[in-house]
Amino acid sequence: MNSEKVIFAFFIVLALTLNYGFYLGDITDPGQHNIYELFAALVVSLISTVLKVGDRTHIGSVFLATSLVADLQLIAAAVVWGITVNVLSEPLTGASLATVVSLAGGALLANVISVILLVAETVSLRR
Amino acid sequence: MTNPIYTIIRRLRSPLIVLIVVNAISVLGFVLIPGVDDQGKPWSMTFFHAFYFVSYMGTTIGFGEIPYAFTNAQRYWALVTMYATVVAWLYGIGMLLSVFQDKIFLNQLKKNTFSRKIKNIREPFFIICGYGDTGVQLTRLLSEEGILSIVIDTSEESIHDLQSDDFKVSPIGLCDDASQSEVLEMAGICNPYCEGIISIVNDDTVNLTVAIVTQLLNPKLRLIARAETPEAEANILSFGANEVINPFEIFASRMALAMQSPGLYSIYDWTTGATGEKIKEPPTLLPGIWIICEFGRFGRALYESLENKNVTLRYIEDDRTHSDLPSGSVIGRATEAPSLVKAGIVDAVGIIAGTRNDANNLSIILTATELNPHLFRVVRQNKDKNSHLFNSASYEMLMQRGSIISNTIFAFIRTPMLGDFLRIVSRFNDDKANELVSRIVGVIEDDEAQIWEFKVNAKESPALFKKLKSSHLLVSDILKCHSDVNLGAYCSNKRLSAMPLFMKRNNGNVLLPEDDRDILIDDRVLMCGSKNAYLQMQQILNYEEVLEQVLTGKDMPSSSFGRWFKRINN
Repeated sequence: MNSEKVIFAFFIVLALTLNYGFYLGDITDPGQHNIYELFAALVVSLISTVLKVGDRTHIGSVFLATSLVADLQLIAAAVVWGITVNVLSEPLTGASLATVVSLAGGALLANVISVILLVAETVSLRR
Repeated sequence: MTNPIYTIIRRLRSPLIVLIVVNAISVLGFVLIPGVDDQGKPWSMTFFHAFYFVSYMGTTIGFGEIPYAFTNAQRYWALVTMYATVVAWLYGIGMLLSVFQDKIFLNQLKKNTFSRKIKNIREPFFIICGYGDTGVQLTRLLSEEGILSIVIDTSEESIHDLQSDDFKVSPIGLCDDASQSEVLEMAGICNPYCEGIISIVNDDTVNLTVAIVTQLLNPKLRLIARAETPEAEANILSFGANEVINPFEIFASRMALAMQSPGLYSIYDWTTGATGEKIKEPPTLLPGIWIICEFGRFGRALYESLENKNVTLRYIEDDRTHSDLPSGSVIGRATEAPSLVKAGIVDAVGIIAGTRNDANNLSIILTATELNPHLFRVVRQNKDKNSHLFNSASYEMLMQRGSIISNTIFAFIRTPMLGDFLRIVSRFNDDKANELVSRIVGVIEDDEAQIWEFKVNAKESPALFKKLKSSHLLVSDILKCHSDVNLGAYCSNKRLSAMPLFMKRNNGNVLLPEDDRDILIDDRVLMCGSKNAYLQMQQILNYEEVLEQVLTGKDMPSSSFGRWFKRINN
């Protein structure tokens, strides 16, 4: 049991699951999108990006790219949320909620690709 | 080439993760722990406020408790996270600094910059392996000529010296092992602008390795190597078309020449000596007993060259275990008078102080002079930095190991035809050689002598090339002096103080071409002459109006408009 691979896979899958959990639910209902989950998704995404850096193989670079995309989208979602609530002092409904959730949806796709790559790499190793 | 950014981030992986986790837990804590606003009503921090607070707490800026004063519960949490975040930040910054100070990382950066610089070179350059005494002199000579050199040496100090020295054309230095093929590749051995590689490291095996690598990577590239043993020399010469310089052999054979054929010695010494020197009288080396103060490589080279001429060589060698010492050798230290006396210094005509230690050599000379004031003294100088010592000593002939190599290499680089010329000249007998010397001296007279070569083609001599397409020219035609008032002093016979030494063409080479010899396109000509003659010839070869004036005495306008105007007026 290779602990480094366990940790690596753990964080990638956790990023995907948290992201999906946040995204799930009616796009117009703020009650179905928990801010703690967005926070958790962002933190785990950042950690998994750091884990992916430094791999010089081709698949490693694509991994890193997908992770960076997911980070970007989640940070954007958090920023939009923060600005709406704190700067503009509006409640998070309607258009702004839709923006946040759709950004998280974009991040979800990037995470899905990342997990598919992980699966592909694991299968090709055959051990 | 590893991108240095990736190297940095890899090293920073653990601090980054620690930072992210610690920050996340702190932010979460602040969001969850309830606070009160200024009216005492419960109020929770949002993620935004929490992140803001944790940011300036962790980076030790500390604005204060915003937007309302903290409850004690919040303060407990702040206490815990304060220490955690500050330590996490310091860990991260510390790791970053250590990465930047890491020698391996810095080395990698240096190699990247070096490699990029080489790839962007768009001018001819030479690669020089080895930056000892010889390397320093050669780089300086090349730089004065405006040629770029790339220097590789394993010693950091040498490369440091290279970078802080003043050069006309700054050389590029790399501190690495020249015998590795990746290093040579990085230095541009396969670059089309590379004109040659010169391997003058102190170690013959390294020079040999460089020769082999060059032969494998770029067999067409010109290689000049130094070898100090005959075995290494033969080895390097056995493959490719390499040129090997063995300083001891060169000096020993020169000494033999000086004894046997002073005319040839003058030619060799002048053509491969330091640039700008006047052609000198050869020293008179008398036959008789010569004392040689060591039987190492130098001593052996002298033995090979001077034996069988009418000189008797007596060796003084300290090391008893040296095999094949010639008969009549004295075992002892040459710096001490008794050994010198035993070797017969009182009857000797000359002494050669050729040990590896400059101080010993000077001591030998001083002792010898006291014992026999009429000796012809030859002394060997090993290190360039002892020059001022040698300047104050008195001797008749000096062998500077570094200079011989660098001057010879430089001469071969500047005038590649010189090798062929010298090979032909070496077969002259003494009378012919003396005649050649007097001819050269007659032409150049008292000026600074220079040797150069040119090819009759569109690139190197455009005016001549163009003229030859339409008319027929002789050697004497391009040696005419144009009657420029400013240079009147050098046109005494309406002829430049220069003469052609050697002409190379596809169907036969001509030694010392006569005045009425034709000049054809694609000829390569080796000339010697005064410095002013060189400058004037450059003008004649490159500028049509100067060539025209020299040939016909008529003035031609410089601009193409002027020429066209003149043409339609005729």
